[in-house]
Amino acid sequence: MTFNIPLIVLIAVLGLLGIGLYCLLASRNLIKVVVALQIMVKGAMLLLVLVGRLRNQIPLAESMAFTVIVADTIVAVVGLALAVQIRRHFGTLDIKALTTLKR
Amino acid sequence: MAYTLILLAIGLPWVGALLVWWIGDKHTKAQHTLAVVFALAAAAASVALLPSASPQIVFSLPAGDAFGDFTFVADGLGVFLAVVATVIGSLAVIFSIDYMKGEKQLGRYYAFVLFFIGAMVGLVLTSNLLLMFVFWEITALCSYALIAFHNDDPKAVAGGIKALIITQIGGIGLLLGALLLKSNTGSYDINALLADPSLLGPRSLAVMAFGALIAAAAKSAQFPFQTWLPDAMEAPTPISALIHAATMVNAGVYLLARFYPAFAGVPGWREAVMAVGMITALMAALMALVANDLKRVLAYSTVSQLGYMVYAVGTGGIFASQFHLFSHSIFKALLFLGAGAVIHAVGTRDMREMGGLGKQMPFTRFVFIIGALALAGLPILNGFWSKELILESGLANGPLWMYVIMVISAGLTAFYTFRMVYMVFFGKPASEKHVHDAGPAMKVALIPLAIGAVISFLAAGYFSHLLSDATLPYHGVEALPLLTILEEVFTWPTLVALAVVALGLLAWWQRDKLVGLGKALKPIGWAAEHSFGFEAINKGIVRCTQGIAEALRVTQTGSLAWNVVGILAGLILVLAILAIGGR
Amino acid sequence: MVYILCVVGVLVCAIQAIRSKRLIVAALWLAGTSALTALLLYLLGAPDIAVVELSVGAGLVTVLFVFAINIAGEENLPSVPAVPRWLTWLFVGITVILVGWFAWQGLPDRLAIVSEGNFNLTLWQDRRIDLLLQIVLLFCGSLSVLGLMAEETPHLQEKEKDA
Repeated sequence: MTFNIPLIVLIAVLGLLGIGLYCLLASRNLIKVVVALQIMVKGAMLLLVLVGRLRNQIPLAESMAFTVIVADTIVAVVGLALAVQIRRHFGTLDIKALTTLKR
Repeated sequence: MAYTLILLAIGLPWVGALLVWWIGDKHTKAQHTLAVVFALAAAAASVALLPSASPQIVFSLPAGDAFGDFTFVADGLGVFLAVVATVIGSLAVIFSIDYMKGEKQLGRYYAFVLFFIGAMVGLVLTSNLLLMFVFWEITALCSYALIAFHNDDPKAVAGGIKALIITQIGGIGLLLGALLLKSNTGSYDINALLADPSLLGPRSLAVMAFGALIAAAAKSAQFPFQTWLPDAMEAPTPISALIHAATMVNAGVYLLARFYPAFAGVPGWREAVMAVGMITALMAALMALVANDLKRVLAYSTVSQLGYMVYAVGTGGIFASQFHLFSHSIFKALLFLGAGAVIHAVGTRDMREMGGLGKQMPFTRFVFIIGALALAGLPILNGFWSKELILESGLANGPLWMYVIMVISAGLTAFYTFRMVYMVFFGKPASEKHVHDAGPAMKVALIPLAIGAVISFLAAGYFSHLLSDATLPYHGVEALPLLTILEEVFTWPTLVALAVVALGLLAWWQRDKLVGLGKALKPIGWAAEHSFGFEAINKGIVRCTQGIAEALRVTQTGSLAWNVVGILAGLILVLAILAIGGR
Repeated sequence: MVYILCVVGVLVCAIQAIRSKRLIVAALWLAGTSALTALLLYLLGAPDIAVVELSVGAGLVTVLFVFAINIAGEENLPSVPAVPRWLTWLFVGITVILVGWFAWQGLPDRLAIVSEGNFNLTLWQDRRIDLLLQIVLLFCGSLSVLGLMAEETPHLQEKEKDA
C-alpha cells in the first residue's frame, strides 16, 4: 500500500463522506442539515472524478460530475427556500419540532 | 413529420395540464377554454398522424442500458387508439364545460384529465415495454385521482382506492413480463418479441403471457377483477365516459391484441383468454339486469362488451375485436355523456326515481336511444357490424358452447338496454320535478358521437387497411375493402344473433307475461345483485391492504433524523449485498 | 505534497463547518471547503469541473446560504441530537468502511493522466438525457422556489386571522 495520490484523494473522499453523514444525522438545525448535504456531495464529486481517471473513462466521469454539481445546487436552493418558509411558519428551525405527522 | 406529431400528441396535453393548474382556480373561464383548446389540438395531432402510420420506429431516446431505448412507433394499432383517446377526450372535455359548471378546484380536474390523455397516447404509441408500464401506471394514477375527485365524499374515495389497488395488482403482471423480456433478450423492445416469440424460452413466455392476461383483466375489469369498475362510477360522468368507457379500460384489450402474435402459441393461453371474456360477458350482463343505478348499468355493460372484445382476441379475430373497440368507444361514450346530461338535470343516479323524462328532454332521449340501439346491436348502427364480426370469428375459431353463451349474452344485452331506456325515458314520471334538457356544450359533445354511432361502420375498409400488414406486420390482419367486410356479415350466424336480439326486445315488451319466469330466476338475480360473491372478496382484499398499511405506520416517524437513518440503513443493506455477492 | 496539503485543508474546513455554533461561520467554512475541493479537482486534471465547482459551490451556494441565514435568523439550539449518538457513530462508521472497502479494491498504483476522449463531445451528445434532466430540474427548482417565496394568498391570511 504505497502512499500515492489516489489513496490520498480517497482518504479525502471518505473523510468528507463521514463528516457530512455525521452532521446529517446529529445536527438539530435544519440549515446545518443542508450544509452537511453539500459536504457529502463534494465528496461524491471528488470520487467520481477520481474513479474516472483511474478507469480511463475521463469524459464520462466529468459529465456525471457536472450533472451532480447542478443537481446539488438545486437541492441547496430548494432546501434553503424550504428552511426559510419553515422558519416563517413554525417559528423554529429545530428538526425535533417539525413533526406534525399524526402518530 | 410523424416525429413532431407524436411529440405534440403526447406533449400538448401535458403542457395544457401544467398551464390549467398554474392559472389557478380563480379564472375558471380561462381554465375551461385552455383545457378544450389543448385537448382539441392533441386530437388534431393524432388524426394527422393517421396517414403516416407505419411499423418504422419514429424516434427513439437512448436512456442508457438499464432502460433500453425509449422508442415510439406509430403503427396502425397504436395510431387508431391514440385517435380514439384524444378525440373522445376532447369531447369529454367539451362536455365538462357544462357538467362541471360551478364546481371548485377545476384546475385539479382538468390537469388530471389532460395528463391522462397524454399518458394514454404515450401508452399506445410506444414499443418499449418498460415505458409502456410507466404510462400504464400514470393512467392508473390519473384514474384514481379523478374517481376520488370529490374527496370529501367517502364513497368516492373508497371507490378510487379500490380501483387503484385492483389495477395495481394487475400492473405487477405487466412489470413481471417487462423484466422477463429484458432479462431474456437484453432489451425491452416489443417488436423484437412479436417477430420471433421463440426469443423467450417456453416457460418464460408462458409466465409473461399469463402475467399480461392478469394485467389486462385487472385493467379492463374482466373476471375475476370486475368489481372496481362499478364503484368507479362515483367519478364525475365525463370521467366515466372518458376513462372507464372509452380509453383506459381499452388499454387491457390493447395489451392483449398487441401481444397476440407472441402469445398465441402458448398452450392454454387462447382458451384462457376466451374463457375470461366469455365469463365476464355473461356475468356482467346478468348483473346489469338487476342494477338500479343508471351509471352502474352502463358500467356493467362496459364490462360485458369488453368481455366480447377479449373473447374475440382469444379466437384470433384481432380486426373484429379492435373494430368493436372502436364502435364501443363511440356508443359507450355517447351513452355515458347522455346519462351525464340526465343525471345533471335530475340530480340522482337511481333509475327508479326517473321515468317519463322523454317529454322534457327530447334531444337527450334521441341520442340516448341511438346509443342504446348501437349497444343492443341493431342493424345499420355500428355496434351491429362489429358484434357480428366477433360472433363469426368466435364461431369459426372457438368452441361451439362458448359461441352459444355469447349469443345468449347478446340477447341479455338487448334486454337490459331496453329496460334501462324504458326506466329513464318512458313510463310514468316518478317525481314531479321540472328538468331542463342538455346544455349547449353538452349538445356539442353529444352530436358528433351520435352521428358516429350511426355511420362509423363505413370506416371499416379504411380500418382494416390501418391494421393490415403494411402497418402492423405481425398480426396477420387482411386489408379488405368495405363491401367485402359488410358482405362477410350477412350469413346465417348473423340471422341467429338478430333473432336472439329480437327475442330480448320481445321479452321486455311482454315482461308482464313473463313474471312467472322472472320469479323462477330470482336466485340468479339475487346472486347477480351481490355480484356473485366477488364484492365480498374485494372488500376483504382492500381491508387487508389497509390493515397492513396501518400496522406499518410505526415506521413513519415524523423526525428528519430518523428518516435519514432509515435511508442510510437501506444503503448499507445494498452495499453489504453487493460486497457479499460480488459484482 | 500539494495533494496532502489540499486534502488536509478540505478535511479541516469540513470539520470546522459542522462544529461552529454560528450558521454564517459554518457557511463560510463551507465556502472554504468548496474552494479547496475545486483546487483538488484541478490538480486531478479536470479544469472544467474545477472552474464550475469554484464558481457555483464557493460562490453561488455561499451567497444563497448567507441570504437565507439572514432571513431565517440565527438560532441557538442545544446540541442533543435527535438520534442517539452511538447509533450515529455506528452507521457512519459502517458506511465509511463499506464505501472505502469498495473503492480500495479498484485502486491501481498510478493515476492515468492520459486524457482520452473529448469532454465536450461526451457531455453534449452521449449524455444528452442528463442535460435534459438538468434543465427539467432547474425548471422545477425555480418554480418551487417561486412558489415557496410567494406572498401568502388572501385565504391563507384569513385562516391566520381566524386562528
